Amino acid sequence: MAAGRVPRAGHGWGSWSLVGVAGLFGLFLGLPVVVLVGRAVVDGSLARALGTQVVLSALALSLTTTAVSLVLTVAFGLPLALVLARRTFRGSSWVEAIVDLPIVLPPSVAGLALLLLLGRRGLLGGPLDALGIEIPFTTLAVILAQTFVAAPYFVRSARTGIAGVDRDFEDAARVDGASELQLFRSITVPLAGTALSAGLVMSWARALGEFGATIMFAGNLAGQTQTLPLVVYGEFQGGDLDGSIAAAAILVLAALGVLVAVRVLHWGRVLDLRSLG
Amino acid sequence: MRSRLVTSIAALAVVLAACSSGATPAPSAPAPSAAASVAASPAAASVNLTIYAAASLKAALAKATTAYEAANPGTTLAISTDSSAALETKIEQGAPADVLLSADTANPQKLVDKGLAAGSITKFAGNLLTVIVPMANPAGIQTPADLAKPGIKVIAAGDTVPITKYATQLVANLAKQPGYPADFAARYTANVVSKEENVAAVVAKIELGEGDAGIVYVTDAKTSTKVATVAVPDAANVPATYGGVVVKASPNLAAAQAFLAWLAGPDGQAILASFGFLPPS
Repeated sequence: MAAGRVPRAGHGWGSWSLVGVAGLFGLFLGLPVVVLVGRAVVDGSLARALGTQVVLSALALSLTTTAVSLVLTVAFGLPLALVLARRTFRGSSWVEAIVDLPIVLPPSVAGLALLLLLGRRGLLGGPLDALGIEIPFTTLAVILAQTFVAAPYFVRSARTGIAGVDRDFEDAARVDGASELQLFRSITVPLAGTALSAGLVMSWARALGEFGATIMFAGNLAGQTQTLPLVVYGEFQGGDLDGSIAAAAILVLAALGVLVAVRVLHWGRVLDLRSLG
Repeated sequence: MRSRLVTSIAALAVVLAACSSGATPAPSAPAPSAAASVAASPAAASVNLTIYAAASLKAALAKATTAYEAANPGTTLAISTDSSAALETKIEQGAPADVLLSADTANPQKLVDKGLAAGSITKFAGNLLTVIVPMANPAGIQTPADLAKPGIKVIAAGDTVPITKYATQLVANLAKQPGYPADFAARYTANVVSKEENVAAVVAKIELGEGDAGIVYVTDAKTSTKVATVAVPDAANVPATYGGVVVKASPNLAAAQAFLAWLAGPDGQAILASFGFLPPS
C-alpha cells in the first residue's frame, strides 16, 4: 500500500492544453448545429415549415424509406457479417474491402454507379425492363441508394461484434444441443448486441442524411423521391433560405430524437458508439 | 476534469465572440492600400476574377476565358457554373464572386434590388428552347406534342431554375397551338419524373438515357453530342434573355466591369454566337 499520496493526473499545463483542444473541437462539432436549430426556432421558420406540404411529405418519405432500408440492411447485412466474421476464405480481405467501399465513395459516385448498373441503359437495365421493373425515379431507388451507402456501416460493426464473441460460449451451447439458429439468437446476438446496435444507429443516420446518391439515381420529385436532405438543398438553391434552415433543423431534430430514444430504450445495455469497428 | 472542460469551452466561446465582433473593421484597413498599389501599376497587377455563370454558359465561357486571358495578360478568370438562382443565393450569402452571368434578368435584378450589385444589368445573350431526347429516342418522340403521351419520362429542372420558368411558358404556348390537346400542360407536368438542380443535369440524364425527353436551351443541344433534338414551333418558342451584373462587394470592380463589357462587345458576342447564342433581345 502506498504510504504517501499518489500524484493525480489532471493538474498542470499539459492537462489544460488537452482540455483546451478537446473543448475547441467540441465547439467546432456542436456549434454549427446549435446555431442552425436555434435560428430556425427563434425566427419561427421551424413552426411554419412543419405546416408546409413539401416539408411534411419529405419528412414522411425520409422516415419510411430509412425504415425500409434498415430492414433490408439487417436482413441482408447480418448474413454477410456472419460469413465475413466466421469464415476465412481466399480473398476474404478483398471482399471486406469491397463491402467497406461505399463508405469512402463520394455519394454522387455511388449514385452514378447504381445508375450504370440498374439504370434503364445500365448493365441490368435490359433484364429488369423485360421483367417490367424500372428502378430510377422511384421510391425503390431511394431505398436502394440509402441501403447501398449505409449498410456497410452496419456490416462492419456487426462483423467486428460477431467476431468478438467468444467461440467457447457457442461451443458450450452446441454441446448442450442448441441448434445453430438457437445459438445465433440466444448467444451470438446478445453478446454482439452493443456492436449490432451501434452499427444500426450509424447505418440509419447515414441513410437519413443521404443526398448525393439519391439525387443522382432516384431523382428529385416531391412525394416520391424528394427526401428531407433534398428539400434542404433545393430550398437553398431556390433562394428560400428560411425554408432551407427550417428543413435542416427538422432533420437535425429527427436524428437527435432517434439517437436519444435509442439511448433511453437501450435494450438492457448501455449503447456504446465507440464499439464501432 | 469535466468542470474544467466546461470552463474552457465557456472561455473559448467568449474569446470567439469577442474575436468575431472585432474582426469586421480589420479587413477594410489593408484593402485601400492594396487597391492603391493595384491602381498605381495596372500593367503589372495580376487580377483574378471569379465569374458565377448559368450552367448553359459553361462551354461558351471556356472558350471566352481563353480568348479574354490572351487579350488581357495578367487577368485570370475562374468560372463557376450552376443554376442562376442557386448562384444568386450564394452571392446574397456572401460568396466571393465578381460577376453574375444569369440565364435571365430576374436573378441579377434580385441583386440590384438588394443593393448588392454595382451598376445596372447588362444583357449579353439570348437563347431559345428545344426538346432533347436520347440519341436512340427509345420513346419515339417525333413532335413536342408527344411530351404529353402517357408513360413518357420527362426530366425537368427545379422550380426556381430559369429554364423551368421558360419551359413552363413554352408548354403553355404549345397548349394553344393547333394539334395540341387542351390539357397538354397538365399531362406534361404529370410526366415529369425528376427536377434536377440545373439544366446541365437535365442534359446529363437525357444523355445517359435515363429520361425520355427534356426541355433545354438550343445551345445545350448544340454542345451535346449524345442527344437528338425535336424542334419546337417558332411561334410557341420562348426567347431567353441572359443578363449579367457586377457584384458590389467585388475587390476588382474595374476589371469586372471590363469583362462584362467585353462579353457584351463584338469579341464576346462572336464567341457566344459560335455556340448558338443569339444577340440579347
